[in-house]
Amino acid sequence: MDTPTPIPTHAPPPIEARGLRKSFRGRPRVDDVSFTAEPGRVVGLLGPNGAGKTTTIRLLLGLARADAGEGFILGHPYRELQHPGRSVGAVLDAGGLHPARSGRQHLRIAAARIGVDASRIDPVLAEVGMARDADRPAGGYSLGMRQRIAIAAALLGEPTVLILDEPSNGLDPAGMQWLRLRLRAFADAGGTVLLSSHLLSDVQDIADDVVVITDGRVIARSSMGEVLTASSGDLEAYYLQVTGTREVR
Amino acid sequence: MLRAELIGLVTTTATKVTAAVAVAGLIVTQLAFVTLLPALARGDIGPGLDALGGDFPVLDLASRAAQLDAINPLGASMGSGSVGVTLLAITLLGVLAGTSDDRYGGIVGAVLASPKRFRIVAAKAGAVALLGVALGIVLAVVSLVTLVITLAVTGTPFVLDLSDLAARFGLGVLAVTALSVIGLAIGLLVRTQLAGVLTTIAILVLEPIVVSSIQLVTGGAVPTWTQFLPVALAQGVIHGGTDGLGPSVVIIALVALTVALTAAASAALARRDI
Repeated sequence: MDTPTPIPTHAPPPIEARGLRKSFRGRPRVDDVSFTAEPGRVVGLLGPNGAGKTTTIRLLLGLARADAGEGFILGHPYRELQHPGRSVGAVLDAGGLHPARSGRQHLRIAAARIGVDASRIDPVLAEVGMARDADRPAGGYSLGMRQRIAIAAALLGEPTVLILDEPSNGLDPAGMQWLRLRLRAFADAGGTVLLSSHLLSDVQDIADDVVVITDGRVIARSSMGEVLTASSGDLEAYYLQVTGTREVR
Repeated sequence: MLRAELIGLVTTTATKVTAAVAVAGLIVTQLAFVTLLPALARGDIGPGLDALGGDFPVLDLASRAAQLDAINPLGASMGSGSVGVTLLAITLLGVLAGTSDDRYGGIVGAVLASPKRFRIVAAKAGAVALLGVALGIVLAVVSLVTLVITLAVTGTPFVLDLSDLAARFGLGVLAVTALSVIGLAIGLLVRTQLAGVLTTIAILVLEPIVVSSIQLVTGGAVPTWTQFLPVALAQGVIHGGTDGLGPSVVIIALVALTVALTAAASAALARRDI
């Protein structure tokens, strides 16, 4: 049965991290991380390398098991979603592409996995600008092209939630601009976006809210408006300040 | 999920290469055992049986037993338990199917699409099993064609009836399918391609060596447990049983081994972080 996952009546946030903790070999990588992402909003997840952003995303998506706490997508732990591929689109890295398979073949596999008709493939290929190169083996793709295919796979199921880890890696300026506009339009249409990125200018342009993580802990959580007001319109200055002092709320 | 895994299998070079190697290996093996050895024994080619020595294997292709033995998707041999290129390729097909996602990162997409991970393993096992059935049929046909051509060339009558052929084909396909799924389970458990390939080669190659060593030490007798090893079971299924085990026992044992390894692979995937 293609019954969509029921949304609880109290309408919880589409994305919620609640006290997530995860240690690797005794070393905490994510430590009591909590935040939410509401419908119609883009949440920028910021932090230095190794801060725990990717681990937090993997915990939310059920790829890794939390030591404590829980992640919720549309009110449910990810593993309990009935058709996750049609509710949530995710880009974790530009990997996942077998070099011998073409971009189109990867999308055929992705479509079959989430139960989406193959007729969706051509539109998403066109949308991410990969229609012309779709039948070439992925082994010959640039990082940006691989990233475009990963984004296309995330969009295949027409999800209402997007969780993206460094999605603009390798994209050329035109691709980055397209992605910014696409994510903004997605959120404006009622979707929810969690965007992890090192590119503060991208985040500043499209994010409505910001969550900053350092050493596995959330050290700042605010709306973009408040951030820009507090930093004279300079997200980078704010970011450097909070990650440097770890005292600003 | 099953369809996705099937697409995944047929769009990788590894699948095509291992299947091609299995077929090529079988053709060479069949030509050696079914065509060349009998011709050497008859003196049609080579120095003749006297020069080859008294212990040269003589295969009487006119007999029903020899013709049945010649229809073997793993390749005809002078006795069960040997490991050929075909058997190795069939198992490695599964290993490569099991390690490919981990090597190239496709496992992330699979788990995102199906958070209940046992379904991923079930879909992979189903896809590899379907491919194993198709490959098993091709291999059985190749072994049959080799035998028929050899018989026609030497003017030897074909003595098998349709039920013989159907049983041989069915059991052969079952053995090929089980071996490919066992390979998949090994691949999912070991995860890295090189380790999976080496582990498989070690398991398959060491089995007959271990059994032969035990035979030498014990003066011919082998413990019953050696007949439950993968190669012995696969050959036992094809040959309708082993010296000590009946056909139904070896079939059940091979299926049980396959299911147990697949379940272990499923449990391992369910436990680990991706």
